[in-house]
Formats: sequence, structure tokens, C-alpha cells
Amino acid sequence: MNYTIKQLSIFLENKAGELSEFTGVLSKNNISIKSILLADSTDFGLIRTIVDNPEKAKTVLEDEGFSVRFTDVFGVKIEDVVGSFDKAVRALSKAGINILYTYSFYEANTGIFIFSVDKDRFDDAIAALQAQNIEIVQAKHFYM
Amino acid sequence: MIWSKEETLPRHKLTELQTERLKDTVARVYTNVPFYQKKFEELGITPADITSIDDIVKLPFTKKKDLRDNYPFGLFAVKKDAVVRIHSSSGTTGKPTVVGYTRADLDTWNEVMARVFTMAGVTSEDTSHNAYGYGLFTGGLGLHYGAETVGATVVPSSGGFTSRQLMLMKDFEATVLTSTPSFALHMAEAAIAEGYDIQKDFKLKCGIFGAEPTSLGLKEEVARVWGIHYCEIYGLSEIIGPGVSANCFESSDLHVFEDHFYPEIIDPKTLEVLPLGEKGELVITSLTKQAFPIIRYRTGDITSLDRTPCKCGRTHVRMKSVMGRVDDMLIVNGVNVFPSQVEHVLSNIEGITLNYQIIADKKGYLDKLEIMVEVTENMPLDSIGSLEALKKKIQHELLNNLYINAEIKLVEPRTIERSVGKAVRVIDKRNLS
Repeated sequence: MNYTIKQLSIFLENKAGELSEFTGVLSKNNISIKSILLADSTDFGLIRTIVDNPEKAKTVLEDEGFSVRFTDVFGVKIEDVVGSFDKAVRALSKAGINILYTYSFYEANTGIFIFSVDKDRFDDAIAALQAQNIEIVQAKHFYM
Repeated sequence: MIWSKEETLPRHKLTELQTERLKDTVARVYTNVPFYQKKFEELGITPADITSIDDIVKLPFTKKKDLRDNYPFGLFAVKKDAVVRIHSSSGTTGKPTVVGYTRADLDTWNEVMARVFTMAGVTSEDTSHNAYGYGLFTGGLGLHYGAETVGATVVPSSGGFTSRQLMLMKDFEATVLTSTPSFALHMAEAAIAEGYDIQKDFKLKCGIFGAEPTSLGLKEEVARVWGIHYCEIYGLSEIIGPGVSANCFESSDLHVFEDHFYPEIIDPKTLEVLPLGEKGELVITSLTKQAFPIIRYRTGDITSLDRTPCKCGRTHVRMKSVMGRVDDMLIVNGVNVFPSQVEHVLSNIEGITLNYQIIADKKGYLDKLEIMVEVTENMPLDSIGSLEALKKKIQHELLNNLYINAEIKLVEPRTIERSVGKAVRVIDKRNLS
């Protein structure tokens, strides 16, 4: 099973129209955004996104002059009940895995939390979650 | 008031003195500095070919690069034990430029600086607050000893710490302020903000300002806000430091102390000497320097010369306040910066391209530098924290290597405009005219 999701990180300047230029490039190229998170500082922002065709997205974005980076992340299915996110975080924490960042999105009654961890602990994280019977989303879930 | 009789020598006497001193300098560099000996041989000349000051045009030019290539002591004309002081530039692209002084050179420096203080009306009754930076930079010590030579009381305050400086200026009753013009204005602004009554609380009567190109507007503003006489001073460490020229009460043009430093104006492209009154690159030959004599040094500063008599009685030629630079050097709060130096610093940092743009502007009265830096297409970072750290790193490296404080703006790849010919690396919005 492949759990490695290729997340794109894109550098953006904080100026009007930047985000729409980014979304425009994707829609023009028929790329669907599955999840997106925008982090910002005073003069620049960082988009983290999961799309249905990351390779193509990277190529077309770079062609338009965007600075793009791939980061391997995984998605964890979380039920909409108290304590389920806590369970996943605890499993990772117990295994001594540092969560770099996490963000979520929802599909019907379940949510998917995207996790980024240190590269060399990726497999350990998957194993730790599976040991707790936590469902991890397969990469193909997002892709065409 | 005039400090020394050489300042009023009749022209023909001055020419005689210059001839004699040039011959002496040429003989010394030919004997003691292999660099010059080689240059003379390439041009097929010997010291015997120099019989009058007009023969100076036969001599080779010296460029900043020659100083770097001969780092550290290659251009010195005396043995190291005769050198009593060394000053140096920051120099990051390669080697810094190093200059040395014998005891006699320091006497010459004190002499010309005493002339400047006297020209500004400073006497032994004055207290001079010196806010030029001390250290390897020649500004601090140059002004310091000049004031001491005329017998004034010196407060060696150096740069920074504005509030404290204001307190000392008030409490020690400074009558003279020496600093960069932008710092003088910055101090005035700070004084007003701190509730000082500038005219009542301070006893300043004049200021000696230099080390950066200054518009007429800025000079007038400094003079007005402090209610003082503005004396402009010009110099560069390659020649001696501050004290190459300064303006008297009668004129805003600067008398070049040409019994020590012989000025010429050349066309920077053809290298032809231009007639009086024409604008071009200032070239200076030291006539009395011992440790570090320099022949036809290309300063890179653009100005013109005027020999019409001055009402003050000094016969020394006057130069216009520097109007610009031949090269792309920027002067930021008194510190010299070449875009190539910035580029060198950037080239050692990962995650950014070498497409950058330097934007110089004013923030209040001080210079402000912003550098736009493109992140690479293959961004190495995926968190705000690491991008902020990258910004800090660039800032830190620039400060550490070039002594400049710049705001860094990270921009997307390919956002800095590419031009067909030479890249536009510098945008100077400071508007000096």
C-alpha cells in the first residue's frame, strides 16, 4: 500500500492577486485541489496543497515562475467524534515522532488529517498509527 | 581665519612647491614600490621625465583594484617599522584596501584637518563632539586629531546611541558637531522627539559634515534645524582620510589642499584630462605621503575644479561637492557598498538565486536599504519559520560582511525584471539633486 502523498509547498509574495494567479494556473490545467492550507507572514505566504496530479501541477506552476517543493505527507482518517484526533496524535507522540505540521479537511462525516513528520520517521509513523488501528488514507485516494 | 601660510601661497609658488614634491614622490615610488616601477617601465618613463607638475599626465593611473591586488603592504613605500598606523576598508569581494601612515603622514593629516577646523571657525575655545565612527574607518580618528591639533576639546563619541550623544552634547556644551550629515539630521529629529529645545539646550555653532554624497537640500536642512554653519569635508582613505578638501565661509565649493594632494579631472572613458570647469572623474596624486604615496588615484567621484580666486584669500583650487560616482558604488549611511559585494554575499547562501535588486531610499533622514532576493524555483524550504530564518541569515551575512543593515524581501522566482543588457541591480530613490 502506498501512503505517501506528494504535497506541494508554494512560495507566494503577499500581494494582491497572487493567490488567484496560483489557482488560475491549476484550473487552466485541469488540476483539482483536494486540500489547501495557506500560512502567511508579513511579507510572504506559503501554500501547502494536495492536488490530484502533483507532477503536472509542479511542472505547470514552475513554468509560470512559482517556487514549488514536494514534501511527503500522509493522511489519517478521523471520525467526527471527540478523542479521535487525540488518538492519532498520541500514537505518534508515543512513538517519539515529531509532528512538523498538520491540517485537516472533511469528507462527509469523516475528516482527513494531513501530517508532516521528519522524513526518516515516515514509515515509523505509519506503523505506529496502524498499530492503534487508525486508518491511513491511501495515496490513490487523491489521485486521478 | 586661515591655519597655515601654504593655503594662501601665490599660484606660481604653489606650482613650484607641487613640482618639487611630485618629483620627490615619483623618485620614492620608483625606488621603493615595485608596482610603480613596473608601471613606469611599461610606459617607458623614468623619474627624470618628470620635470614639472604638468608632466603628471605622463604618469600611470592607480585604481582601487591595484590596492587590492597588492594587499596588504605591496604599495607601501617605507619599511614596516616606519609605519605607525594602519587603516583599512571592509573589502569583502576580495581583499580589503589597506593604507598606512608614518609619523610624518599623521602630522600631515593633522595639519590638513586643522585647516578644515580653522576653515569652519573652530578654535581652542571650542568643544567638538565627534560622532564619526572610530576604528578602521578613517573618519573618527581623522576628525579627532584635527580638532585636537587646533586645541579644541574633543568628545570622542563615535556613532550610535543617539540619546546618550544628545545628553553629552548638551552637558559638555559642544560647540562643534562632526558627523555624517544624515546622522546630524537624525540627531536633530531625535532631540526634538525627546523634548529638547534645540536652539536653547545646545550651544552648537558649526558642524563639519561629510563621508556621504549630500544634496544641497539636506545641507540646508542640517544648517537650519541646528542653527549652525555647515562645513562640508571631503576625503578618502586612499588619499589620507577626511581632509582632502573642505569649504570655507565664502563658498560652498571645497578648497583642495593641493600642496599635499594634486587634483585632476579626467574623462572616465577616454582618460583624457579635462579643462577647468568641466565635469568628470576626480583623480588625485599625493604629493607628500610617505608610507602610502599614491599616483593619479582614480577616486570614482564626479566633480569639477575651479581656480577663480576665492574671497577667503585661499589660493587652493576648489572642487564642487561630489555629484555622483563613475562606478556603481552606493554610499549608505557613510559606508561604501558595491552591488558586486552584495552579490558575493548572496552567492554563499543556499535557496536563493543571484537575481536581486538593491533599493536605496530614505527613512527619515537616514539611508534605508532594501534588497529583493528571489527564492529558487526548487524551493528548499517548506515552512514559514525556515523562510524567516533564511531572511535573517541573509540580513546577518550582509551586516557581518559589509556592515550594512538591509531589509530583505523574499520574492518569487523570475519576479525581478530581467533587462536585455546590463541588469538593473540598484534603484536609488534618494534623489540627491
